[in-house]
Amino acid sequence: MNERLKRLKVKARDLDQKSYRQSQPLNILSDINAQNLTWMRRMAHLTARQCQAEVPIIDPDEQIVFTRTLPAEIPEVYTPEQWQELTTGRTIHESGPINNLSPDWGMVLSQGLLEQKQIALDGVMNCQNDPEKLDFYESAIITIDSVIELANRYAKEARRQNRMDLVEVLQQVPARPAQTFREALQSLRLLHSVTHLIGHYQIGLGRFDQFMWPYLRSDLHEGRLDMEQAYDLLAEFFISLNKDSDLYPGVQQGDNGQTITLGGVDQNGQTAVNELTRLCLRVSRDVSMIDPKINLRITADTDLELLSLATELTRKGLGFPQYSNDDVVIPALVKHGYSLEDARDYAVAACWEFIIPGKGMEVVNIGALSFPAAVDRALRDGLLAGEEMAGILDRVRTEIEYQVNHLAQTYEKLILPPAPFFSVLMSDCLSEGKDLSKGAKYNNFGIHGAGSANAADALAAVQEFVFNQRSIKPEDLIAALDQDFQGWEDLRVTLAGKAPKVGNDDDRADTFLVTLFNMFADACEAYGTTTLGGIIRPGSATAMYYIWLTQGFEDMREPIVGATAEGRQSGKPFGANLAPTQGVQIRGPFSVLLSFAKIDYQRIYNGGPITIEISDSVFRDRDSIQKVAMLVRTFAQQGCQQLQLNSMNLETMLDARAHPENHKNLIVRVWGWSGYFCELTPEYQDQIIARHIYAFD
Amino acid sequence: MRRGLIFDIKEFAIHDGPGIRTTVFLKGCPLACMWCHNPEGQSATPQILRNPGGERLVGEYITSDDLAGRLNRQAKIFKQNGGGVTFSGGEPLMQSAFIAEVITLLDDIHVLLDTCGYGSSDDFRHLLKKVDLVYYDLKLMDPELHQKFTGRDNSLILENLTVLSQSGVPFVIRVPLIPTITDTTENLSRIANRIQNLPGLVKVDLLPYNQSAGAKYEAAGMRWQPDYDEKKPVTANLKIFTDLGINVGVK
Repeated sequence: MNERLKRLKVKARDLDQKSYRQSQPLNILSDINAQNLTWMRRMAHLTARQCQAEVPIIDPDEQIVFTRTLPAEIPEVYTPEQWQELTTGRTIHESGPINNLSPDWGMVLSQGLLEQKQIALDGVMNCQNDPEKLDFYESAIITIDSVIELANRYAKEARRQNRMDLVEVLQQVPARPAQTFREALQSLRLLHSVTHLIGHYQIGLGRFDQFMWPYLRSDLHEGRLDMEQAYDLLAEFFISLNKDSDLYPGVQQGDNGQTITLGGVDQNGQTAVNELTRLCLRVSRDVSMIDPKINLRITADTDLELLSLATELTRKGLGFPQYSNDDVVIPALVKHGYSLEDARDYAVAACWEFIIPGKGMEVVNIGALSFPAAVDRALRDGLLAGEEMAGILDRVRTEIEYQVNHLAQTYEKLILPPAPFFSVLMSDCLSEGKDLSKGAKYNNFGIHGAGSANAADALAAVQEFVFNQRSIKPEDLIAALDQDFQGWEDLRVTLAGKAPKVGNDDDRADTFLVTLFNMFADACEAYGTTTLGGIIRPGSATAMYYIWLTQGFEDMREPIVGATAEGRQSGKPFGANLAPTQGVQIRGPFSVLLSFAKIDYQRIYNGGPITIEISDSVFRDRDSIQKVAMLVRTFAQQGCQQLQLNSMNLETMLDARAHPENHKNLIVRVWGWSGYFCELTPEYQDQIIARHIYAFD
Repeated sequence: MRRGLIFDIKEFAIHDGPGIRTTVFLKGCPLACMWCHNPEGQSATPQILRNPGGERLVGEYITSDDLAGRLNRQAKIFKQNGGGVTFSGGEPLMQSAFIAEVITLLDDIHVLLDTCGYGSSDDFRHLLKKVDLVYYDLKLMDPELHQKFTGRDNSLILENLTVLSQSGVPFVIRVPLIPTITDTTENLSRIANRIQNLPGLVKVDLLPYNQSAGAKYEAAGMRWQPDYDEKKPVTANLKIFTDLGINVGVK
């Protein structure tokens, strides 16, 4: 990286941009209440006011501009009383606004906002008798005008600073089609920032190497750019994503959903890897910041050269790329109602969920199924009733169905705020005259499947000691669980250490893992179609639920569970995503992959990675990069769905715990995203340290 | 069916041969090298390792059937990635009949034998018929120094080197670089001269001294007493080998 980029990185890490921030959020409420606007118009008004209040900031080092000056808090468009009235009896998803989606960036960049405005103007002409449509189209136009006006003010500031290069770019985009790589990056930077400015969050950057490549290709072809200049621009763009992200909401700092999805296939099924794919990997490796978080789509046939390049990022401890296996993901999406063309165009959402950019109003994380809670209830009731394993498994099925139905039914009452500007960025909202909050081509929900290895291990331990060996009495087990193993340490050690475990390619445990996921899929399939016209997608991730489901969290809809029969004490976290139960002695990464390869990913398709930690000592010679790349290829060859491979040094993390001031830039993978270790709360730091104690070397 | 004594099975072993592999560590070794970093591999019986964090039994008897079964589950991974199984130790030749039986039960898997060469020549010859590649350690060419630092003299090892080079099995010579002991011009020159022109020689790997070699001695109830300066940097004089046209690298 050259000096300019180094300066930009330091400024972003030091949050220099904070000095430009306005201290107070706008108050627009009295204004819009006086006008008695519809909810749709209120959202348009919010967009306009936020854009107007932004103060253009241009750093002399920047070629791609936009720095947010408005604070994190988004102005309310209703009073609490009005909001109460509007939403009583309805379900609010997380904090409310549409989130965790990826727009159709390719369309917006190539057509420009004015083209979208024309569609909306035509819409206005044609729907004079349809007030709802009219409301939507007129609101969309307000938002488009306000974003273009913001760009114009940036152009004016650029002229004032005599930055004619910038003036030229900002006169073109985002209003008109981007013509160059730089214009496309500028357009994306501004539009992406505006989505956050108006309250959306975890907004992904989609298949960046696909929609951006035509601009770079023509620049290179026409001689407007060489690869070094392209590298510079891209690095600046990546750094810019780290500027305002502390303002974006998330469960922990860094959980901001700024993902990009690289590689994969095109709409004809041919490999879509291009020069920009590789450039993104190289730039991300060198910039070494937590955003953007990279997903790489691969197949069993992906070449080792690309995987080796990707492994260099892992080696740096960035916690990405996360890998998704097209061989598995695409057919699964097609089986569940996605067109082949759309399935081939999937991107990864904020963490791991598969979504179609621009085409879905999907809520891929309506909550989590707690496998351990389901198993715990079934075990207690079943054992008390004197049942054998078959009876217990029947009860597990019932518990799983109950949890799935509860979440799905809760989301039947989902209410989403209108999103006129976000609709402008989607593929079909304007042409169909329908706001995104009213649905799109795909309207599915996703549920995480959390604690699967813990739950399977609990069943395997009961099978082994209660039924096979008959060495543990059911009443003793229940008493030990009730007492959180206090006074039952020998029993706990037996359950935790001597039973068959998921992650060792041991069918005695893995068979329960497979059974649990099949029951989950059955429950989702049995639920059928929601009133929004979507289905329920079962997944294999935990997100933050590996802690929440054991310790509780305010307003959580999922059940909490205490001590469990795999020997886990109350409050101790589950394994994150698809990982062996914490503390279990595991044979190695091959066995982990072979265990989790047994899940039927044609039915479990909401995403959720196998998570493997390797010690950074693995990378001691040149060969090691290629061999880790082979491990990634093995993941795809074994038919697994998704992989998160982390490299970390335990001593470094322990030192960072003690001396955070020395490790400001230490990056770790948390659940579906990477963050700065020192910015995490202690409970998450502890869980990551505990994970790495069992890293493979 | 035979059973063997192992002290570890390490998956995704990436420094033990081509591709990605699983390495089986056999317990028991006729040598006791002063720099040995796996002291728990020396004794041919199970033993307790005592760490501040607790105790762990090291050494597990396993039947050839069970071991081969476990390895065969990974056969596809090995085949697709140019990898295989490595038998290391300890010293695998001490359990050569067991290993031979395991290999017979393997499902067409590439096998690498990582040996110090100290064992019965007949056993070695027999085993060589079943393996695809050999990692062969040469430490010291001087018999007295060899006796002093490993506990045995090197005549059998040098005899078996001849057996190896006549077997047709390709092999890599591995030399641990112990400061001032093996990492001397004289020793490396004698090794180079001995192996020059040996049929089957693929290359020489020089293995720089591992400064954490003494880490496990206390836990194994043994004393760590290196009679050399651990901190001294290794010289790794590659030229000694390249001058004789020998392919050499540092690992």
